[in-house]
Amino acid sequence: MIYLDSAATTLQKPPSVVRASAYAITHMASPGRGGYPAAMTAAETLFTCREAAARLFHVPEPDQVVFTMNATHGLNLAIKTLVEPGDTVLISGYEHNAVTRPLTATPDVTVKVADAPLFQPEAMLERFGALLTPEVSCVICCHVSNVFGYILPVAGIAALCRERGVPLILDASQSAGALPVHMDTLQAAFIAMPGHKGLYGPQGTGILLCAAPVKPLLEGGTGSHSVRQEMPEFLPDRLEAGTHNVPGIAGLLEGLRFVLRKGPERILDHERRLAAQCAAGLSRMKGVTVFSSPHLEHQAGVLSFQVDGQDCEEVGDRLGRQGIAVRSGLHCAPLSHRTAGTLERGTVRASFSAFNSSNDVRALLQALERRRPS
Amino acid sequence: MVYYLIVCRSLTYAQRTAAVLERAGITGVILRTPRAIAGEGCGYAVKVSERRLAQALVLLNKAELRPRGVYIAESNGGYRQVGL
Repeated sequence: MIYLDSAATTLQKPPSVVRASAYAITHMASPGRGGYPAAMTAAETLFTCREAAARLFHVPEPDQVVFTMNATHGLNLAIKTLVEPGDTVLISGYEHNAVTRPLTATPDVTVKVADAPLFQPEAMLERFGALLTPEVSCVICCHVSNVFGYILPVAGIAALCRERGVPLILDASQSAGALPVHMDTLQAAFIAMPGHKGLYGPQGTGILLCAAPVKPLLEGGTGSHSVRQEMPEFLPDRLEAGTHNVPGIAGLLEGLRFVLRKGPERILDHERRLAAQCAAGLSRMKGVTVFSSPHLEHQAGVLSFQVDGQDCEEVGDRLGRQGIAVRSGLHCAPLSHRTAGTLERGTVRASFSAFNSSNDVRALLQALERRRPS
Repeated sequence: MVYYLIVCRSLTYAQRTAAVLERAGITGVILRTPRAIAGEGCGYAVKVSERRLAQALVLLNKAELRPRGVYIAESNGGYRQVGL
């Protein structure tokens, strides 16, 4: 199989990830619940993982690195902490349902949408500047659109938030592991990310970087302050009730080590080249609309396209039957499609990881050529 | 050998404490806080030798890591809090 759906999950992992998760299943017990070697080895693995994430994302202290199930879990924690009923929130026009659904579920929230056209970061920044008015109590923005790979001007948006004293929640689902996601520079209140995409960890892992007081979504045992019936005030315990996903986190640690060793810049460069190769090939095909930026720096390794006269699901299905895995439809981001004008038809998305090669792109292009009506 | 327990608010805090000490070449062993001194319930402590305690506390102060308490292990198996 040629796997081009890394924006959903990176399927090819470094072998060390698989080994570490398997080892943890039979050798690591519950961290924070005992002082015997199997529990302490688990505790050490978690702490080393927090330290690795703190190093990669420039987080001052490892206890600000909280383990979650995925980015959605982290975004829910952040949103339900900062957004109260009746608040006004400003988001980009490229947000995922992981942002828009929790906002919809909060009563009487006014959502302002900064909706500038694709690949025009200056226009997007201008929209944010215009819409970031005094009644806005929180800004939520993705770093990279999961549909189009469009890199939003988050440094500028973060600067606006700092100037106006409004907390920022950054969704780094598509950027963590490839683009610079630096907590100290951005000074976001929260940054949420999955462990199973660009960090090459197993599914069921995620990270929430915290720079603000936070409300728990779950209450339960933490292995600390057990007499008290309230959740501890301090991180990470406040947000990590119940037994951790130790095999997942052991794998995530190896994924983080892989990214740190290889370097996010090199990974981004590789993925971008593949996306550009794919965009060039697709744009030479008649009847194919490609959503790509002429400026390499505005797009990460995610690319959407449409084939005239063909439903995107049919295209994805045909490719799947030829052994090529892509994602079709709305990608859980109807707002993004509405902003880009693709809501009605959806798109086919190809997304790349460090484990793809230009041969994979050629195979996709050849498969699309074969299937085109004569 | 006389040793001290630096009692921490959480496991992660104990791990940060031990990491700071380790970087300065001080052995700090993480263990469960004995129930008698655990206060509000389960927790973790870092065990250091008497010889390294003073240096350890200076380092922790510099790193802005605040122990919940420091206890000396007594020969009768009990623990006594020491003033900082």
